[in-house]
Parts: sequence; structure tokens; C-alpha cells
Amino acid sequence: MNDEQKREIDARHEQAKQHGVKFFPDIIYKDMIAAFGVFVLLLLLAVFLGVKPEPPADPNDAAYVPRPEWYFLFLFQLLKYFPGQIEWIGTAVVPGLAVLALLLLPFYDRSPFRHWRRRKLALAIMGAAMAGIIGLTIVAAVTTPPQEETAALTSLGDRLLAGQDLYSIQCVECHGDEGQGGEIAGVEGLEGFLMKPMNVGDYMYTREDDTLAAIIAYGQPDLGMPPFGKAYGGELSPGEIQAIVTFMRYTWDDRMEIPQDVASAGAVPALAPGEIPSYSVHIQPIVRRTCLSCHREGKKNNNYLMGSYREVLDTGDNSPVMVAGDANSLLLRLLRREEVTEIKDLDPMPPARPLKPEWVEMFELWVAAGMPETPVPATGAAPAATPTPPVTGTPPAASLTPAPTSGTPTP
Amino acid sequence: MAESESSAGLGRRTFVTGVVGLLGGIIAAVVGLPAVAYWLGPSLKKQESDAWVPLGPVENIPVDVPTLFSFTRTKQLGWERSATSYGVYVLRAGGQVLALSNVCTHLSCRVTWSPERDTYLCPCHDGHFARDGAIVSGPQPRPLDRFALKIEDGTLFVHIVEA
Amino acid sequence: MAARAFRWLDDRLGLTGIYRTIFDRKIPKVNWAFTLGSATLFLAVLQGVTGVFLTVYYVPHPDQAYESVNYIMTGVPFGWLVRGLHHWGATLMVITVVLHMLRTFFYAAYKYPREITWITGVLLLLVTLGMGFTGYLLPWNQRAYWATTVGTSIAGTVPFVGPIIEQALRGGTDLSTLTLTRFFSAHIWMLPAALLGLVGVHMYLVIRLGISHVPAADE
Repeated sequence: MNDEQKREIDARHEQAKQHGVKFFPDIIYKDMIAAFGVFVLLLLLAVFLGVKPEPPADPNDAAYVPRPEWYFLFLFQLLKYFPGQIEWIGTAVVPGLAVLALLLLPFYDRSPFRHWRRRKLALAIMGAAMAGIIGLTIVAAVTTPPQEETAALTSLGDRLLAGQDLYSIQCVECHGDEGQGGEIAGVEGLEGFLMKPMNVGDYMYTREDDTLAAIIAYGQPDLGMPPFGKAYGGELSPGEIQAIVTFMRYTWDDRMEIPQDVASAGAVPALAPGEIPSYSVHIQPIVRRTCLSCHREGKKNNNYLMGSYREVLDTGDNSPVMVAGDANSLLLRLLRREEVTEIKDLDPMPPARPLKPEWVEMFELWVAAGMPETPVPATGAAPAATPTPPVTGTPPAASLTPAPTSGTPTP
Repeated sequence: MAESESSAGLGRRTFVTGVVGLLGGIIAAVVGLPAVAYWLGPSLKKQESDAWVPLGPVENIPVDVPTLFSFTRTKQLGWERSATSYGVYVLRAGGQVLALSNVCTHLSCRVTWSPERDTYLCPCHDGHFARDGAIVSGPQPRPLDRFALKIEDGTLFVHIVEA
Repeated sequence: MAARAFRWLDDRLGLTGIYRTIFDRKIPKVNWAFTLGSATLFLAVLQGVTGVFLTVYYVPHPDQAYESVNYIMTGVPFGWLVRGLHHWGATLMVITVVLHMLRTFFYAAYKYPREITWITGVLLLLVTLGMGFTGYLLPWNQRAYWATTVGTSIAGTVPFVGPIIEQALRGGTDLSTLTLTRFFSAHIWMLPAALLGLVGVHMYLVIRLGISHVPAADE
């Protein structure tokens, strides 16, 4: 470009400025409106799409399909076309040349022309490059195999519930529904083993979360506990193991208190006077905690499955195990640990230890009421499903505290 | 040039400045106000809990000598559990038991019992408290805090209230 | 009184001079495509603000990164909003940067006298992509971990120096604490410093040279 052309350009620009506007307020006004539009779009994305919860990083998860951020997808896809020995062309040469081409653009594109009609070749090259990038991105997005969804457990309530469910399925048979241990019954190879309790301070105080997680993941092979972590051939991901640890910590470590804003998820509510138990409120939590570990697919259970309301009522070799209103239904007799002679090889349920008496009673009331699935209005005056008794007078704790002073200095 | 100085130009100028200010203000408010709550949120969260902490059999506690008992309590703070440590001076005298916090009421330094001077001594501003926690000298605004206590089956419990 | 205070400040700070050079300058009449640069600048500032707020709770450690981000999302008031703005802001910023570059290319604004503006702009595009790449790892979730595994492996395929680049990026042969802390450092200190410097030069040149005009048919 010679000096004359430069003068020509400067003159043109000066002329355009003379016919132009002031930066303030005209340009700022437009910029502000554009920025505001971008902000509204951003706000909508943040509020309505949000950030999708993801499970924690798991280097052992071989099933995860890795993908880079969407704006690097084109590069990722490009590598498919440079296999094996020539891969470096796709990873180094092509992107390197592209960046170099962009950086040095003003030095090799030396034509003085600026209007697009006189720069058709340049625009075509850039257009082709952009079309290529967009095309590669689309191909990459379309050909990405669907990710196997693992639920990300974010809130404490979710973790406790998931931990309890996993505990019930993976751990209950040996460690008991309350972590109490005891003599193992019905587990191949460990029959009669006396399991130590975990639901005591001695156990929980002396084991950090990391230790518990490691024990679950690696197992205790010498003591007969198999590994549960994926890394060691089990079926639990680190997030799931963490959920079990959280459940154990909050349930059996008496130093831990579940924050009040976390609903008592998964707990079995006590019956209010006159309340009729229902599947969804009372029976299902009991079943999930104490029965489901055996009464699911793939276990020895006389084909009696307890995964859903229908299954609880209808499945099993000895179906029906419950008859509405019949206090001598098979299931109730087994729960009461009565001897059943007319059918061969039936053990009392659960095999290792009896169900809590109040839970057995809950089952009895439930069968007597015709096994309702959802809460039915109570017959008494008390509203249904009220776990706490009504407050009367001053709380009794007040009388136990003789002095009004407390340990924490309060301003 | 002259046109832009006219009243019509000034009107547009005012309008445009107003719009720029308004939109900027909206953006600042939508980002700024939640940011204040974001910053303050955990600071203002109330986590009240209380517990009766056992300190052991009453008969093992020395008579007439303030004795320090230490223990820790764990709390979930943020995404981590943190341990808060407590120190309680227990004084058994004349059939009575007294439990004092070892936190100075001035600036939360920890006081220590000094047998030579027969006072609790705060190392920060040389504050002195008597055996029963009363102020002897120093800048502290009130006597040492007392824990509520109870004795069950011969074991002493103090009442810890965390607010 | 206010006028006197302004005079006092103006004599010392040169406010009127700043106003004349920056705000009162004449600009060619341009269309809406010319707002892409300032929209990008706006997003960069917003990323800075939300990013600073995220560091109030974020911990760059493999044991705590996921939990601290989770705490931001569930335990802190409006934490979801701050992270949402930062997350989507990154995506929008990549889009506006690229569109801004395409606009500049279409109107041939990279030619004399704005060559250096263009070069700093391309570098800013690379820094923006680098910010996206380093920021993606920080939540230490599955998506982050595996994207970074793949991303750093791509660098490893470059002939001769590839393995060295890969290990330099990872701080070792594998993804670890070292990877996380160096990505964190790059994301909140090194790249923003580079960004700030480049934006400074870019803006100085925009004000010095004025934005280009829309070329006429005979140009």
C-alpha cells in the first residue's frame, strides 16, 4: 500500500467522521442497548437453563463419554479425519496454520479494497472456514453417543435418601437395617458370622468419612467384605459411596445433627392416634430399609419382589401374601415370626432379626385397613400423618436448665 | 454542528443519557443485590443447637481448685465439618459446683487460672476474674459466662448452647 | 459549590480532557454490528465480577472443589445465579468474540491503520478460549475431568514437543491436584492479566484511531 492510498483512506475516514455522530451519547446509547440485550439473554439462560448438576469426577468410570466444551467440539471432530500416524496434522498443523493465518491476515491481505464486492475471494475463504467449523460442530454433536445419566446428588436430603436406599440394597444383609450388626443369616459364605455394630460412637468417632469410603470401596477382604467400589470391581461410583457415608454419618454419629431445613427424608413417621398407615407414607420406607435388599430381582426370595406397591401386593410364589382384613395373612405371620408349617422352607422375616414391634403393628393395621396406597383421612379428630405431638404448655427442657447463663458469650 | 446544540438535540441528549443510566442501573441491581445476599448468606445463617456434655464423675473433680475441662464439638459449616473447642473451668466448693467458660468477656481471649494470684487471668489486656467469675480488674464488660449444669448418677453435665 | 469542587478536581485530574478524548469524539455512522465489541467487553467485565464472587467459596482442591461448587449451588443464596451467569457468560462471550471478529473481517477493518488492533483482537480470542478451557476443569465433575483429559491429550499429539506440552499443562503425567491448581492459577491470574493488558492496547487503539467506517462500494 503506497502513501497515496493511505492518505485516501485517512481522508475517507475523516469524511465519515464529519458526517458521523458523537461517541457520547449516540454510540454509547446503542452499545448500552446491545449490552442490555445480551444481559437479558444471559439472565434467561442462567435462570431457566441454569447449570446442569454433574456427578463428581471419577477417573475410574470407563463408561463416561468424554467431550470437550462445545466450542472445541469442531477440533475434537477434526481429529477423526486424521487417524494414527498423521494425527499431528489435525492437532498441530491445521489449528496452528489457522491461528497464524488469522494473526498475520493484515500482512498478506495487502489489497486496498474494503467493500465486500471487491473481496469476494477473502470472504469465500472465511465463509468456508466458518461453515466447516459449524459443520464439524454439528457432526460432533449429532454423533455423540448418549451419556449414561448418573444422578448428581447435590442437596443433603437427596444424599441421605440415596445413601439410605443404597445402604438398604448393598449393606443391610450383613450390617442390619440400623447398622447394628449381629449374627449374619441368609448370606452365602458368611452364615453365622458375628458382625460388629457400626451404629455406635466407638465405630463412628474413630473413622473419618474418607476411611468409611475407602472401606466401602475396597472392602475388607480378610473379614469377608467384598469390594463395592467400581475401581475394585464393585458396582458403586464414588458419588454413591459418598452418599452411603453421608447416610451413615448423619444416622449413627450422635455428634451430627441433620439441619432443620433438610426434611426428615426417608424416615418412617410414627402413627398418630387413629391414623391408618398407608403404603406411600409408612410401608414403603420400612420396605426400602429392611426388605428390598433381598426382595428384588436376582436374589433368592421365592420371587416375592417389593419394589413397588403392585409388586408388594401381587408377586411371589405364595401370592397373595396379604389378604385385606385378614390378620393371619402369610406375611404378617412371618413378620410376627410365627411358625408356618403348611408351606415348606419358609423362614421368619426378616431372617436375621425381628422387625421393630411398632413396624409389625403398622403392617397389621395396614392389612386390616385393606392395604391403602396413599394416605386415607383419619377416623379420629387428629389430622393424618402428624408425626409430632401437639405442644402443651412450656417445653419440659426449660425446667432442666437451672441458670439462664449459657456457654456462648452473647452480646 | 449547530443543530445538535438546539433544544431538540438537548432533549434527545437527556433522553439518551437517562436510558443509558436506567439500563446500567438495572444491570447493576440485578447483579449487585443478589451478590450482597450471596456474600452475607452463610454469615447470617442461624444454626442453633444445644447439648448436655458429660465431664465425668463429680467426685473426681478436685475440691476448691478450678479445674479446666476441654472438649470439642463438630458442626457442619459450609461444605465442611469444623470442630469448635470449648474450655470449662469447674469449681467444686462447699457442696456446690460452678462451671465457668474460659472465654474472656472482653475480646474472647482464653483465660487461665492462676493459683498464685487466686484469679483467672486474661493474657490480652491483663483482665482478672475472681473464683466465681466476678470482675476483679481490667477492661472486661461482664463476669465470666456460666454454664448451666446438672448431676445425673454422679456424673456432671454442662449445657452447651450454640447459637 | 459543586461547580467549584468540579473545577478543583478537573484542574488536578484533567476530567474535561478525558471527556473530550473519549466521549466527545466524532464517530462515523455505523450499524448495530458495531456494538459486538462493546457487548464482548461488557461480558468480560461481568465474567470478572461473577468470577470474583465465585472465589468467595470455591476451593481449588480435588477433595473440595466439587463440594464447594455444590455448596455455591445449594447452600448460598443466589449462588446458582452467580454460577449460572458465569457459566453462560463464558458461552456467550465466545459467541460475541467470534461474531465481532467476523464483523471486522467483513468490513475489512483489519487493514491500514488498524493492523495492531486486529492482532490484539486475535490474541484476545485465543485468551478467551483459554479462559473457557481452564475454567471448565474447575468444578472437578465428570464432564470437567474428562474434557480436560481429552483436551490436554490433544496437545500431547503435537510432534516432538507434544508430551512436554501435555505434562506442562497437567503438571505431571496425570490429572491431579497439580492440574487443578495450575488451571485455577491460569484462570484467575495469568489469563485475566493477559486479557487486561490486551484489552488495554485494543481500547487505546480504538480510541486513537476511531472505529472504522462502513466501506463504500468504491473502496
